Amino acid sequence: MKQKEGFRLRTVCGEHIIVAEGLANIDFSSIISLNDSAAFLWEKALGQTFTEENLTQWLLDEYEVDEPTAREDVASLVASWLQAGIVEP
Amino acid sequence: MSTLVFPNDQFLPLVIEELQSAPGRTVTLPLYGYSMRPFLENGRDKGLLIAATDVKVGDAVLAEVGKDCYVLHRIVRIDSDRVTLRGDGNLACEYCLLKDIKAKALGFFRKGRTTLDRTDGLKWRVYSWWWMRLYPLRRYLLFLLYPHIPARFKKKQ
Repeated sequence: MKQKEGFRLRTVCGEHIIVAEGLANIDFSSIISLNDSAAFLWEKALGQTFTEENLTQWLLDEYEVDEPTAREDVASLVASWLQAGIVEP
Repeated sequence: MSTLVFPNDQFLPLVIEELQSAPGRTVTLPLYGYSMRPFLENGRDKGLLIAATDVKVGDAVLAEVGKDCYVLHRIVRIDSDRVTLRGDGNLACEYCLLKDIKAKALGFFRKGRTTLDRTDGLKWRVYSWWWMRLYPLRRYLLFLLYPHIPARFKKKQ
């Protein structure tokens, strides 16, 4: 899967948010907030195609977490990204 | 779905920076507060803003009226570079300089609609014409629209 174009991660007042950002309009009434690890994965996945496998590996490399937990977290994260429409399969 | 709320004094400077970084860029912002009643309602409506250029009396603008204090109110008077603002739902004015006018409303998304009520459209202009001229009656109109006990009649604690 890969990130859809037009969604940029930014940090506002300490919150990681993804804002729909057309060339012309930025819609702050519809934003998606990410926690630190999700924001890390989003940055890591920027501009490339990736799989849940990749995300899990990145998470394991960066954070002290056991594999089943990482796998589970990635699965729910990907599900929420797909539901929010910010990544495409 | 939940709502993230950012403090105005930290969030709005970023919004303004975004607007000024690319001419013609717009932002959509949820609106809070009661000071632009009756047209705009707290938490219900959104504003479409663009960096301010050649503002005039009657425009709804985002202005920094004090240090880190922002309002989206209507310009009621301009004297060379001194600007007087007043929220449509307010009786009192704010004062600032032209340089403090940061952004201008192009229109509003009201009542959850996705169509814009443009500030150059008929609805906004007719509303504005009447609401400005009815200012002497505003106190009473607001009371009729939003019945409440005015603060000055409330018992002091």
